[in-house]
Amino acid sequence: MSRSVSVVILAAVLTIGFVGTIEGRRGFALSAQEKMSTMEVKIDNFSFGPVTLTVPVGTMVTWTNRDDIPHTVVSTDDSKTFKSKVLDTDEKFSFTFSKAGTYPYFCSIHPKMTGKVIVQ
Amino acid sequence: MHPFDIKTVVFAKHAQHVVLIHFPIALFIIGVLFDFLAQWKKQRLLAAAAYYNMLVAAIATIPVVVTGILAWQWELEGQKLKGILLMHLVMGCLSSLLICTVWFIHMRTRRKQEEILPGYRLPIEAVAVVIVALTGHLGGFLSGVNGPG
Repeated sequence: MSRSVSVVILAAVLTIGFVGTIEGRRGFALSAQEKMSTMEVKIDNFSFGPVTLTVPVGTMVTWTNRDDIPHTVVSTDDSKTFKSKVLDTDEKFSFTFSKAGTYPYFCSIHPKMTGKVIVQ
Repeated sequence: MHPFDIKTVVFAKHAQHVVLIHFPIALFIIGVLFDFLAQWKKQRLLAAAAYYNMLVAAIATIPVVVTGILAWQWELEGQKLKGILLMHLVMGCLSSLLICTVWFIHMRTRRKQEEILPGYRLPIEAVAVVIVALTGHLGGFLSGVNGPG
């Protein structure tokens, strides 16, 4: 009786350990992937930097307003693929590009400010 | 884009606001200057010049307010404003109200055919010039006049 209980406990411990190890590895792999697929565009001095950003499919691009002036990030295509609210200083806007293509965008308050995301 | 293309002008959206705003600002400030000079020099001609400047300034505030609100509705989809944009909107409305008030004071005096304009108009005009200047400063800051934008 006590031997079978010990075997069950040992099996449970081994299973928990195994599952924990796999999940841990998966978690590490996910966080590494997330880090790989996040890019940043800075808005400063009435311009986007970098002006043209090339990223792989599935990348999340984050725009951060480092300017003293409010700005927006709006895609120029008719369907307005992405459109931020007005971003005050240090506010962020993120969008994940799930399809390949070229995505030009601009600031709707300052139409001279333009940028482009190329998704490959 | 061609600068004289009618589509460019009509569909310029909030760019029209940035252009039109200069008319009431210039006309009103010059109108107030003429009025102060008329008060100092006691000249009717200057008072008349002040009145007509203020009349056109008051008329010019209408398209400015309309295009400003349209810019908010079209470009920003009427989203809740905050910070400089909100301050610019509030002060812009206040400026328009003050410009129209000052013109109304002048118009009422002329309509009653009174010789002397009420003295209280001068501090109102002075405050209005300050508010208009501050609103214009905020607008310039927003549009990036002081930067490469």
